[in-house]
Parts: sequence; C-alpha cells; structure tokens
Amino acid sequence: MAVGAGILRVPKEAKKGEIVRVQMVITHPMTPARKDPQTGQQVPAYNLTKLELLFNDKLVSTVNMGAGVSANPFMALTLKVEESGVVKIVYEDNKGGKWDKTAEIKVS
Amino acid sequence: MDRRKFLALSAVAAVGLTIAPALQPAFGATKLEEEVSKRLGVQLSQIKEVADIKLTAPTIAESGANVPITVESTIPIDKVEQLWIFVDKNPVPWIADVKFTPMNGQVFFSTRIKMGETSNVRAILKLKDGSYVMATKEVKVTAGGCG
Repeated sequence: MAVGAGILRVPKEAKKGEIVRVQMVITHPMTPARKDPQTGQQVPAYNLTKLELLFNDKLVSTVNMGAGVSANPFMALTLKVEESGVVKIVYEDNKGGKWDKTAEIKVS
Repeated sequence: MDRRKFLALSAVAAVGLTIAPALQPAFGATKLEEEVSKRLGVQLSQIKEVADIKLTAPTIAESGANVPITVESTIPIDKVEQLWIFVDKNPVPWIADVKFTPMNGQVFFSTRIKMGETSNVRAILKLKDGSYVMATKEVKVTAGGCG
C-alpha cells in the first residue's frame, strides 16, 4: 500500500450514548533520524506527526506522535456517540503529506 | 602562603571535592527527565503514581519494534486533559501524546510502540485541575527495535 493509506474501522451501528471503539491503521514507515549503517549518511526522520479524530466535524482527540510509534501505526481511541454521523481522521507527516479517512456510524 | 592559610584552603578543597559528586545528579538529568520537564513543564519526581490508571503492556516483548500498549483509566473523561507516553531508555523517550475531550467517553488509548531496550513504559495523565498522575510498567525486550 502506498504511504499514507489508512484503514478506519468503527462499528456500523451503535446505541445512543454508547462508547464505541475507533481503530485505525495507517501505512507509514515511521523512520527516525539516523545514520545509514551502509553508507554512513544521515537519513532524515520520516514519520507521522499529528492525527486528529473528528466526529461530525467536531474535534474529539488530537494525537501527536514521534518516530517512537511503530511502523504502520495502529491506534485505538474511544468515542461516545449520541447521534448518527461521520467519523473522520485527518493525519499528516513531517514531509508535508496530509490525508484523511472517513467512516459512518448509524445510531439507533 | 603561611601554614594557617594553607590548611584553611585545603580544608575548603576537601569539602568541595566530597560535595561535588553528591551534586552530580542535579546537573546530569537523564534524557527522560529533560524530556518530561520540557514537554510537561513539571519535574518527573513531582508526578504521583496512582492505581486507577491501567497500563497494559507485555511483560516480555520478543521484538522491540512492535510493543502493543493500552492505557485505560477509571478517572472520568471530563477531568482528564491529556495523556503522554514515555519510554525511559529510548533515544527519544517521548512516544506520543493524546488530547482528550468529553466526547471520548472514557480514557482509552491503544497503540504499538518501539523500544530500544528493556525499560519502563510510562503513561502520564494531566488532569483538569493541573495535577499530573502516572502509571509505569516494565517491559523486557529481547531484541531492540530502534534504527
């Protein structure tokens, strides 16, 4: 998968007031700044820096991260749903890449 | 220099030499302590360990490149502002921080982290009243995962 491709998983249906788990996996190398063992050259860091979780365009959580998060980061957060809506994640890396991903929840 | 002065000076020197090693830790703060005070604005020693944060991590991790950790807490979400995750002995101890809002419903965060060697993992919560609490867990790493 291309760098920045993401999978966002939420339950399709939920009860009003239920706390649902939002899980995501993003394809990204997450390499820290380091010296290449073969060439001895300094390799700059390439990692995700920020991820925002939104529900119906309202900010729920902001995650800031460094290269200490594993490659192809998996993350899980919770969200309390009171109405049907769209869960959205927006994430960016330190080389200017910016992506987003959405999923819908039906609340009964 | 007469004898009296010499004795006084050597006494001062002796005291200085014995005190100097005792002062060392204050100047040579570890990377973790520096990072905590830089990012949180408080000293690590001032943060209390509490039992109502649950930090789940494997006791032994086979690969340091992928250590799953989960932070949960029974502290109500509207009292919590932010969560930090640190690994004591990583080259960069700061892993991630998470800002919570009441829309999260509960304090919950799960991810996978890299660990260079066996060390403590820390989850530090900032509460709305400005205080900090934390949970620690030691993870033994049999193969490091940095660089």
